[in-house]
Parts: sequence; C-alpha cells; structure tokens
Amino acid sequence: MHNVWILLKREYLERVRSRSFIVFTLLMPAFMAGSVLIPAKIAEMSSGGKTNIVIVANDAELATAVGHELSTAKQESELGTDAANLPQRTYTVEVDTDTSDAERDRLTQQLGEGKITGFLWLTNDALADRKVQYSTKEAGDFERPRELRNAIRTAVTKQQLAQKGMSEADVESLLQPIVVKTVRPEKGRKGASSTEIFITAFAMVVLLYAVVMIYGMAVMRSVIEEKNTRILEVLLSSVTAKELLAGKILGVGAVGLTQILVWVTCASLFSAPGLMFSGSGVHLPMLSMLAFAIFFLLGYLLYSAMYAAIGSMVNTDQEAQQMQWPAMIPIILAVFLMNAVIQHPNAPLSFWLSMVPFFAPILMLVRVLIEPPPLWQIGLCIALMVVTIFALLNIASRIYRVGILMYGKRPTLPELRRWLKYAG
Amino acid sequence: MTSGSALPTDSDLQTHGFENSPTSRVNLKLETRNSKLETRNLKLETAFTVELRGIRKTFDHFVAVDRLSLTIREGSVYGLLGPNGAGKTSTIRMMIGITMPDEGDVRLFGQPFHREQLSRIGYLPEERGLYKRMKVLDHLIFLGRLRNLSEQEARKRSLDWCERLQIADWENKKVEELSKGMQQKIQFIATLLHDPALVIMDEPFSGLDPANAVMLKDVLIKLKKAGKTILFSTHRMDQVERLCESICLIDHGRAVLEGDLKKIKASYGKNHVQMQYEGDPHLEDCELIESFNNYGNYVEARLKPGADPQALLRMTAERARISRFELLEPSLEEIFIDQVRKHA
Repeated sequence: MHNVWILLKREYLERVRSRSFIVFTLLMPAFMAGSVLIPAKIAEMSSGGKTNIVIVANDAELATAVGHELSTAKQESELGTDAANLPQRTYTVEVDTDTSDAERDRLTQQLGEGKITGFLWLTNDALADRKVQYSTKEAGDFERPRELRNAIRTAVTKQQLAQKGMSEADVESLLQPIVVKTVRPEKGRKGASSTEIFITAFAMVVLLYAVVMIYGMAVMRSVIEEKNTRILEVLLSSVTAKELLAGKILGVGAVGLTQILVWVTCASLFSAPGLMFSGSGVHLPMLSMLAFAIFFLLGYLLYSAMYAAIGSMVNTDQEAQQMQWPAMIPIILAVFLMNAVIQHPNAPLSFWLSMVPFFAPILMLVRVLIEPPPLWQIGLCIALMVVTIFALLNIASRIYRVGILMYGKRPTLPELRRWLKYAG
Repeated sequence: MTSGSALPTDSDLQTHGFENSPTSRVNLKLETRNSKLETRNLKLETAFTVELRGIRKTFDHFVAVDRLSLTIREGSVYGLLGPNGAGKTSTIRMMIGITMPDEGDVRLFGQPFHREQLSRIGYLPEERGLYKRMKVLDHLIFLGRLRNLSEQEARKRSLDWCERLQIADWENKKVEELSKGMQQKIQFIATLLHDPALVIMDEPFSGLDPANAVMLKDVLIKLKKAGKTILFSTHRMDQVERLCESICLIDHGRAVLEGDLKKIKASYGKNHVQMQYEGDPHLEDCELIESFNNYGNYVEARLKPGADPQALLRMTAERARISRFELLEPSLEEIFIDQVRKHA
C-alpha cells in the first residue's frame, strides 16, 4: 500500500502540475460558459433589430389583426417554462392589399434590397387552402414561422368567432393558452420539470462518457509512455506490476475527479439565477450527484483496466489506436442505446441493458436520473460492476505484468491467453 | 572447477524439496537441523549474498533459463557472462522477483526470497529509462521513496550524489533537458541511492562514453571496498575480466562454467605465448603451435594441447634473437568460445 501511495502521488502531481491539465481544466468552463452566453447574446442582439414585415391580404382588417397579434402576443416557450426570459421581437407591420403578381415582384425586389425582412402572402385563396407563404431571406430562423403561424391562427379564429356573434371578451378568454408542465414529485422538494431532468441527465451522461474516455485513454497512453521510456524495469525492481497498475489507475482517476470537481464548481457558479440558458436550470439533486460519482468511479475503473491492458500490449500510440476498439465499442454502444432507455426507463429491455456492466455507467445512470429504479436493481447493477471490475483488473494486471516487459511484436490472441497463465 | 558443477546435483534438489514440503514434525526437526548446519556454514565459509538453485524459466516453448545454479559470495564482484539472448536478463529478473521461476528457488542474503529484501538491492536494468518530464531531484526522491527512504533522507542523499557526480547544477532541470551521459549518471544514482548491499548491473557500460565509463568503474571500486556485493551482467567479456573475481558463463540458458575466475583460468593453463624477436623464428612448420599471429618482430601464438612452452623457447632461440618471451592465460572470451563449442 505504501508503494501504491507513492506511485499514485507521483502520477497525480505530475499530471495536475502539467500545463496541459491546467489549460484544459480552465478552458473547458470558459468554453461551456461561452457556448451558453454567446448564443444568448446573439439572440439578444438579433431581437434588437427591427423586423419589417409586409402582410399582403385581400382582407385588410384581417391583415391588421395579424399584425396586432404579432406585436402583442406573449411568446410561449414550448419548453413550458417561464417565457419571460425569451428575447421579445419587435415587429413593424405594413398592410398591403394589392395581391397582383406585379406587387409580388416589387416586394421580392425590396426583400432583395434588404428594405423589408419578409412578406406574408395572406390572400383569401391561400387562407382557403390553409397554406400561407412567407418569403424571407432568413430561412434559418425556426422561431419566426411558429410566431407567424400562431398570430395568423389567433387572428383568423378571433375574426370568425366574432363573425359568429361572440363578444370580444369571450373570445379572449376562450383563446387563453393552456400550458402543460410535466413535473416529477420528489420528497420535500418542489418538483422539477421533465425537460430539466432530461437536460441534466443528458449533460451528466455526456460528461461521464467524455471523462471516462479521456482518462481511460490517459491511462493507456501513460502505460505506453512508460514502456517507451524504458522506466518500467527500474520500477519493477522495487514494486510489483499490480502495485504499479493500481497506482496508475488511482492516480489518473484522482486527476479526473479533480477536474470534474473544478468543472462542477464552475457550473454551479454559472447556473446562478439569470445566467442559465432559456431559464431551463440544470437540475442537480443530491441523489443524482451521488449516482454520478458512483457510476463515474465504477465506469472509470472498468474502462481504465481495459485501457491499461491494451496499453501494455502495444508499443506506440498508433498501434494503440488500432487496438482500442474492445474498450471503445461498448461505451459508444451504450450512448447509442441511451435514447431508447430515456424514453422507456423501466421497460424490460432497459432493465437488461442497464445490467450489462459495460453499459451500466451510462444506462443505469440515465435510469437513476430519469426515473429511479427500485433500489435492488441499482444494488444488483453495482454488484455486477464490482465483480466485473475485479475480474477485469485481475486479467489486466496479468496482461500488464507480461506486456510491459515485452517490446516489439504485438501479441496474438493465443499468445495473450498464455500470458494469462504465466506464473508471476 | 569444471563446467558440470554448475548443474544442480540430485542431493541439492532433494534438500530443497524437503524445505518446501508441507509442515510435519519430521520436517520441522529437519529444518532445525538444516538451519544449524547453515549457521555453522556461515561461520566456516563466507556468506552467500545470492544463491540460485536450479532455477528454470520457460516462455511458451522457449527455455530462457534451464536449471541454473550459482552462488555469489558476500563482498565479491561477480560476472554473469554470455552472448545476447543467453538468459542473463531472465536470470536477474528471477533473482529480484520481477518474474518468478517455474522451478528451483532463489535465496538472497542467506534467506529464501521475499520482497522486503529488495530494499537492500540496487538494480540497473539493461532497459533503463526515466520519466522525461520530471525534474531530476523530484525523480531521484521518487525512486528513493520506492526504496523505503524517507522524503528528507532521499532528498539529502540525492543532493550529495549529484554533488559527487558533478551534476548539482541540473537538479531542477527536467530529465529531457539532460544529455544522454547525464541521464546515465541519474540512473546510477537511482540505483545506489538507498546504499544497497547488493548491486546488480545489467550491461552497465553499454552506451557510455569513456569518461562516464571510468566514473562508473571508480564508483564501483569504491563500493567493493565498502564491502558491497556487485553483480555484472554483460556480453563484453574483456570489460569484466579485469573487474570480476568470480564468473558464471551462460549459454542457451545453461551455466556452462561457474566459479572463481583465477581458478578457471589456471585450470586452462598458460597456453598462450607472446614473443618479441629479431630475425626469423620460422614458426610455419613448428609442430608445437596450433595457430599464430605474426606482426613482423612480434608474434602471438597458441600452443597445441600438451605442448611444452620451454621446447618452443629453445627452438625459436636457435633461429632468432628473442628479446621477450611470455606465457599467458587464455582470455575469458577464448575460454567461453571453447566451452560453448564443447557443449554444442
């Protein structure tokens, strides 16, 4: 244990002190913050610009009503959360009753010159077909058609209801939007919306996947580096291969934990009120944090053992790239399967998939975050993983023990099988 | 000593079998007797720092070391010699527990091998290296810590050694900034930092420039004077011939010759002649000589087995003026080639 501690300490300190670690650890939150703040800033800036829309219609009254709806309508967020944070667009609407082709050409030209943002072809024919054309250059704006659609629908409904003799007040109350908000009840806490849970689960899984891969590969690269610098035999004259492997995996793992801790701290600073994107706050109850910590550690141990074994079998990074598929495929597969499990977290298939130790770090974590399964399932899953980790560490340390002293040719499968049988 | 003595005898193997068999009253008695015998042996003879008894190691179908036995006396300089791939490194790896022998046993400092003994051994492997991005002093302290030195002690000794080997200015540089020769010095310091009683060096002179080779040799001689046991492993026999007292010649995993270097050489007799002359000794038709190498007025000749050097002197003295006539022992290399030929 004494030796493992010395090895762990060296591995940890050398990595944490390295410039690349410091840069990456600090750059990532900056990048995350940037990816959240910059789009918000851009949205703010674009909404600041005036939107000039020409509504071409046979019925001037309807056109005016649509324009009125556009500039007054409260924007409802599809996320069902507080819409107040969304940038409000300001519209300048011009009503045009000339529906001739010449007018269309004129508007198209104005559009080309940038004098108007777009024009809406709201003729009686188009309304009868229930297909309205909106011409614009901002084809990438997905919000606008929705806003226009809502405005037209509201205006048309109001007009028709009014024609059928309904009072204006009745129409208004009839058209009050109904918002459905999904919540997950939790003990002693206000429920969180399903969107928040989904976003949180997704972010956590991506983080776990990235960190397990990054640090698993770091273990592999570090083994290869030690092979290449020929320091292994120097070390092996005072420590065992098992101690070496344990020190490396734990040391690199501690670096990973440090990095996550820094990131989580930064994230919690950024998710302070008013800064989070679209008001959809990241939702982090203690249970989720605990689950993340457990599945990160187990997943890291499982995959880093595989990566260490691979690293000890090869001599160069290039060779390692060809050999690392046994460690890559299961975790990538788990990410692919994640969507199905998110949608039906308690389906039998989700249960079985999440019990596979190689998938569990991703899939069981998702289940715990979305809809916590019974405790016995979590317990069984963790037990299966622990057993697998011990078996893998045993196999990995046997391969490692022989592999680190082998230079040159990569072992074949039968050779690898014999390595497992060698006595010390 | 003859070459055959390197292989374990039946009685050796039996003794070892008894020691490791499951405990019973009879065995316990036997062990007590054995240990008494051992203590007496210690008093009578010099203690053995290393004892290998019939160790064997196979990889797949390749026998790397084949029932090899050897003993290294305390305080001696021992050479483990043989061509590349003979099994020298495999033998050393088993000696210090990097790998375990399939058969046979290893005794260090008079006791069966256990890992705690490693803190008394300094090992410089043939495949040696350092972490490139670590600072020199940090690296030495790290290796010292693994050899059970405290942080402060490791630091103090590292600084002393750096001073001694004139690399004190480089303590805070990264290893990768150092020249090859300086990195070698760091390696030696790392090997000797914990003041080991047994120093094992695998091909220590390979890749060394002459200045560093001399420095290493001087350090080793000092260690020997301080009573340390030193084991060399090399295929460069000429280098070790001058340093070693005892040797073990290995070929194809087997010990072909083991024992005191002087005795081995003496057993071969002096069958080499160096001669300085004026005139022409006419060696071409001499029936006493097996082969010779003539340099004009200086000749090196190898006598035929059983030939009398005095007869050669008389014969050549009649034909030329001899200014020097010297009888020499064969070089280690010649002995080795001779032995390998015999066992082939």
